[in-house]
Amino acid sequence: MTAAAFDAPLRRRSRLGRKVRIAAGVFACVVFLFPVFWMVLSSFKEQRDIFTVPPTLFFTPTLETYISYMQRADISRRLINTVIVAAGSGLLSIVAGAMAGYALARIKLRGAGTIGVIILLSRGVPPIALAVPMFLVARSLGVTDMHITLILAYCTFLIPYVMWLMRGFFLALPKELEESAMIDGCSRFGAFFKIIVPISMPGLLSTMIFSMILAWEELLFALVLTNRYASTIPVAIAGIAGDTVNGANWGALTAVGTITVIPVVVFALLVQKWLIQGLADGATKG
Amino acid sequence: MRTMTAAGARKVRSRTWTTLADVMSRWAFMGPAAIILGAMLAYPIFYTVEISFSRFDLMTFSAVEWIGWENYAHVLDDYRFWSSMKVTLVYLVFALPLQIVLGFGIAFLINADWRGRGTVRALFIIPMVVAPVVAGGIWRMILDPLWGIMNWLIGLAGFAPLDWFGDPNLAMAAIVIIDTWRWTPFVVLIATAALLSLPRDIFEAAEIDGANWWSMLWSITLPLLVPIIAATFVVRWLGAVKMFDIALAATYGGPGGATNVINLFIYEEAFRSLRFAESAAMAVIVLVLTMVLTGIFLFGTRKLEERC
Repeated sequence: MTAAAFDAPLRRRSRLGRKVRIAAGVFACVVFLFPVFWMVLSSFKEQRDIFTVPPTLFFTPTLETYISYMQRADISRRLINTVIVAAGSGLLSIVAGAMAGYALARIKLRGAGTIGVIILLSRGVPPIALAVPMFLVARSLGVTDMHITLILAYCTFLIPYVMWLMRGFFLALPKELEESAMIDGCSRFGAFFKIIVPISMPGLLSTMIFSMILAWEELLFALVLTNRYASTIPVAIAGIAGDTVNGANWGALTAVGTITVIPVVVFALLVQKWLIQGLADGATKG
Repeated sequence: MRTMTAAGARKVRSRTWTTLADVMSRWAFMGPAAIILGAMLAYPIFYTVEISFSRFDLMTFSAVEWIGWENYAHVLDDYRFWSSMKVTLVYLVFALPLQIVLGFGIAFLINADWRGRGTVRALFIIPMVVAPVVAGGIWRMILDPLWGIMNWLIGLAGFAPLDWFGDPNLAMAAIVIIDTWRWTPFVVLIATAALLSLPRDIFEAAEIDGANWWSMLWSITLPLLVPIIAATFVVRWLGAVKMFDIALAATYGGPGGATNVINLFIYEEAFRSLRFAESAAMAVIVLVLTMVLTGIFLFGTRKLEERC
């Protein structure tokens, strides 16, 4: 009785604290979502509704910006290019990166430790240090403005990322798996592709999706290595935002921005569970 | 007798063959990654180093003549290089700690045990997958001095509107805000996972012993979190040193170079001013600095993990 009376104020206070805490958390979330909301909202405005003080919240939505801008700039082609490059580099880097990550985790290689350190350090290589020579080499080989060039360029940061993440993932798997498979007559490759890959699917998929998102958003290599036929969406956005002559066309910016962001958001939310797990592992198992 | 040795030799040969095949199959796993990274990562780095020590001929578009440290001397004499390095340093010093503190703070808030926890956490993914160049673009609209919603809100609160992109300090603040908006959710997601993995019984024991919230935070939560905070810092550092898109889209380095981070400056020097040799020298300087610092941070993280 006395104990309960003693406890009561403390518990009430902590319940209040919990409510404040939840409210603050939700508020932070709303603040962080607002810019995206504002972009999507503005993309359905007419030009005159964008430039208003105070900002308009209620207006007749229109697809005008989308329609006119899709025709003016070749956004659809850039969109296709971005899909090709993101999918291509995502697939290539997951195959090459997962195999190499497996080698580092499970196969006794002389110098594996050194390779691991080099990979980890290579994640710190600033892309700008690669951009100049890549541009010059691509130019002399005549392979600028091609999808494959961009795909390979993206592999420079995707493969180390995948290798490191998958290395941690494979280290956590029980060793008996491929040992028993190899006793049963599987080759090393057989054991990897028939046993390890299927059970690692969630990890592989989430890593691949995150790689594709990274490729989808990349700007520097796309600016340097493409100019017309293989150019991607981020380049278009940089062009719209950096238009200092006419001033930034906000309608176009919000519409193209929305087109860029929505597919990725849908994708990311679909696999959010794996994505969060992958992120947490990526940071902790480093 | 002769047949015996022949068989023995065959056995030996087949054994060497098996070992060789075994070694091959081991290294074959590294093959694709090694080839791609060798061609696209290692070779360009060597080429950058070569260009940085050469005179670059714009007619043939190639490095023609070895001139030693001359490009480096030029770069180190260039006040724009130093001011760009300073800008980058200021950005890193403000943005990284801010993102770590905010990220872990918000993670603590949203980790309260309630029904919407999963949803709120999932929603934090959204800013994280907004392309940085888009982030720069939208925020330029939000922070626009005349029409932006931010200045309208500031006005509502009774303050004078701010010239976000005209004032050097405010422009840097804008870059830090945009970067923080884009990257804090990433820290939040790592931090929520880290907080959830903390052992509960320690907290219960401390509560029974009458420890208050504040002392639990300082003497239990934070020490347990130190390794993961350090790891998050390294991951963010690896991303932040590459910062380019946000500055390009939001300010294009302006006003007057106040937000011209080093990556943007090198890009401009190389691809606008076509000074490939000097930009290669700058790239090498940045590369070496980043490698050294990354190495130090990784070493530090390891040490922290071992201690805990």
